[in-house]
Amino acid sequence: MSRSIALLTLLAVSAVCAPALAATPSALYTDNCSACHQTTGKGVKGAFPALAASPLVQGDAAPLASTVLAGRAGMPAFKDDLSDLQLASVLTYVRTSWGNKGKPVSASDVAAARAKLKTTRKTNSLQAH
Amino acid sequence: MGDQSAAASLSGGGVLTRRRFFEGLAALGGVSLAMAGMDALGFGFASAQDKPPPLEGDPKGTKVVVLGAGLAGMTAAYELTKAGYQVQIIEARAFAGGRCQTARKGFQHTDLIGNSQTCEFDEGLYINHGPWRIPYHHRSTLHYTKLFGVQLESFVNDNDAAYVYFEKGDGPLAGKPIRKGQIAADARGYAAEMIAKAASKGQLDAPLTPADRELFVAYMINEGHLSPTDLAYTGTEGRGFDVHPGAGVNPGPGKPSTPYSLSDVLHSKAWRVLSSVSGYEQQRTMLQPIGGMDQIAKGFEKHVGSLIRYSCVVDKIKQTPKGVTVTYTDKFGEQDTITADYCVCTIPLSVLKQIDADFSKPFKAAMSGVAYAPVNKIGLQMKTRFWEENHHIYGGHIYNDMPGINTITLPSTGWQSQKGVLLGFYAFGGEAAKISAKSPADRAAFAVAAGQKVFPEYAENFETAFSFCWHLAQFNLGGWAEWGEEGRKDAYPVLCEPDGRVYLAGEHLSYLGGWQAGAIESAWQQVGKLHARVLKA
Repeated sequence: MSRSIALLTLLAVSAVCAPALAATPSALYTDNCSACHQTTGKGVKGAFPALAASPLVQGDAAPLASTVLAGRAGMPAFKDDLSDLQLASVLTYVRTSWGNKGKPVSASDVAAARAKLKTTRKTNSLQAH
Repeated sequence: MGDQSAAASLSGGGVLTRRRFFEGLAALGGVSLAMAGMDALGFGFASAQDKPPPLEGDPKGTKVVVLGAGLAGMTAAYELTKAGYQVQIIEARAFAGGRCQTARKGFQHTDLIGNSQTCEFDEGLYINHGPWRIPYHHRSTLHYTKLFGVQLESFVNDNDAAYVYFEKGDGPLAGKPIRKGQIAADARGYAAEMIAKAASKGQLDAPLTPADRELFVAYMINEGHLSPTDLAYTGTEGRGFDVHPGAGVNPGPGKPSTPYSLSDVLHSKAWRVLSSVSGYEQQRTMLQPIGGMDQIAKGFEKHVGSLIRYSCVVDKIKQTPKGVTVTYTDKFGEQDTITADYCVCTIPLSVLKQIDADFSKPFKAAMSGVAYAPVNKIGLQMKTRFWEENHHIYGGHIYNDMPGINTITLPSTGWQSQKGVLLGFYAFGGEAAKISAKSPADRAAFAVAAGQKVFPEYAENFETAFSFCWHLAQFNLGGWAEWGEEGRKDAYPVLCEPDGRVYLAGEHLSYLGGWQAGAIESAWQQVGKLHARVLKA
């Protein structure tokens, strides 16, 4: 898309390098996920999938990490917004909350999934529409 | 990519090749000039279509059901009706327009989380929380504004007086509101100085004849407002004065402003904004309907409103070899059906893919190949127009790097009146998802706190807010379709063709994604295809 401005990648990179604030897993979830998936993890029927009792959420770490890194359907990609450690923290939170019984996710799990992503630069832009 | 090499080639060091020079110029805004020139010459930068397809020949009462009374749906209905089709439109909302909405006093919205808002702006004030500006080359949109007599006014999409506010740079200019025109003058001036000096000494590895070189240096002097004698940039009147020129001897000639240092300009990263109007979609000359973007929706509604069944939510789309049957639930909760020969479906893919439809497998698979953008906007009513009165900024954007804000935009209407509604944030993606988790009151507080960093009068002038999160809007689930490279290649072409008797249309089936022109031109294309098929049948 023409609205992606290559120049801005410089800034995008510096934003990623900013030191990560030590937010708690639940705060990370509230900030980044709860608008759609709700604090209850139940999502919104017909719009946003439930994370509670979700097979994807409780299954293998790799496909889950890839989904959150790259985005899917209406969900934005978080690869440029959250570090491996932050993603591991929030994924572990959703895998062990609301009755979910998934295994914890480590930062190295996320790093491995990140390495497998096709490297596309963030199309950050000052403007759209 | 030209980003880093361009920056490197302009900040000294290395040999400046002609290619890198042009990349550098593009980075400093030269592309907009190049593109405006190309459009003037008609080299295909304008909208793909500037008028609807001629639908000649008798459709013999063919029935079409249109799903969605947004711009795509109403365009299809308008053109098909004119050509002799029998058309019905099913619309989920109680009003027409789709994303072409304007919030003014009394406008109500309840999002999927359950946040209910009623807009409490003063009479006459509004925010376009959906589409808000029309590039001059979106001739399809302008075709209908003219046809329906929708009056337009200028939308200030570029304002040298507007501030730039970048916190994440460093140096003395970081985290300070600075005028965009000053950054532009200084960045261009210093770049021109370096290039001119190198060129005049024959240090450019460009195949310039001596005559070319002389003209080239003259151009650089002109571009950067350089001293013709020593090729130095020492500021220019265009960046403004510390004391403005005026009457008599005091202020008399005024006091010129002093440029920022090259290093300060570079480290501020504020030069990012210089490419803001160099994209195809972001033109300096843009337009908006007087009184709100929904004037376009109302223009269509005057002609096709009688065909619309409002507050009817589509439940099912089923096809037979002879027609399409749509089942919907009306506002009384009662289910009904409508059957037609063909269907033009403009429901966003984010919503459509969750509707019970008997589309073919490849068609369904293609629908899941697209993402929809989380998008937030907020309108803040201010009791005075302090940006005009105290800062002399008439419209335009305060670009910034505050997460979740992205831009603060001052209204291009109601100049010098008492109050105004400005756009307090316009953010996308993860940042938008984050802010949308807040309550409307907290979103407003977040926006006001950010604006206060730029304008000291912001918080004390704030009166009331209206925010809209497109990903939390029931019948949209996102601001616009976002096609990745793979989706464009594999899924998009599948969806551009009909599935049986159902034709999809909307911004999502165009390369003008998220623009009203995309919706209109997609509808034009699909009704053209549909009509050709009907005549052959």
